[in-house]
Amino acid sequence: MILLTAIGFGLLAGIAQAKYHQTTWQLPQLQHAWIVAVFILPQVLAFYLPVTRSNLSVAVVSACLIFSQVGLLLFCLINWRQPGMIILAAGLLLNLVVIVGNGGFMPLSTDTAARLVPAQTFANMKVGSRVSLSSKDILLQPETIIFPWLSDQFIPPDWFPYKFAFSIGDVFIGLGAFLLLSLPISNVSPSQERKF
Amino acid sequence: MKNSAYNFASSLSKIQKHHIQLFFMTLTIVMLVLGAGAPVDFGGVSK
Repeated sequence: MILLTAIGFGLLAGIAQAKYHQTTWQLPQLQHAWIVAVFILPQVLAFYLPVTRSNLSVAVVSACLIFSQVGLLLFCLINWRQPGMIILAAGLLLNLVVIVGNGGFMPLSTDTAARLVPAQTFANMKVGSRVSLSSKDILLQPETIIFPWLSDQFIPPDWFPYKFAFSIGDVFIGLGAFLLLSLPISNVSPSQERKF
Repeated sequence: MKNSAYNFASSLSKIQKHHIQLFFMTLTIVMLVLGAGAPVDFGGVSK
């Protein structure tokens, strides 16, 4: 949700900036986009497809996540010249480090979870288990988390109606995606330019 | 008349090509960002 919002704002900012300057909004020149399509597949199987995610073991799911993120990091490094891509890659690397350090899942502390969900829901959550089949998070006691400052520790203010927790890596990823879509690119070929 | 039809077809194909490029570029970025990020989402539950 937070990440899709960053993409939406990036698209709007890019188009608005092009209109304001009466110039062209240019598409990022992403090389080897097939890498994303290939390396996202393990995550689709592990987290998104109900048929597969309920049948995969925890070890396989964590392996899928790590393998997928390593591939996506490779894609970011290939395209490092794009505006925002280094920031996005830094966020991905931070997430990958904390995921690898905590057994293949993003840690969510019991303290953070208790602030997010109703007491009854929290009572049903089990320490050491995944938050849900569609989630990359695992619920852990704060003192057992490795690199706790990289975990999903940030939450929106109480008045915000949508409840989620995110990491510093997610912030970098959102910012990188925003810059990728909103900043103009100087070395674009004329065939990929488009006036809005 | 023929020229107008040609121009229309030409601009239509350019628009479609651009839209297809835009769609795939956006899809790639969405997949990249969703794959890279790991926020946990509890939806609209209230505490």
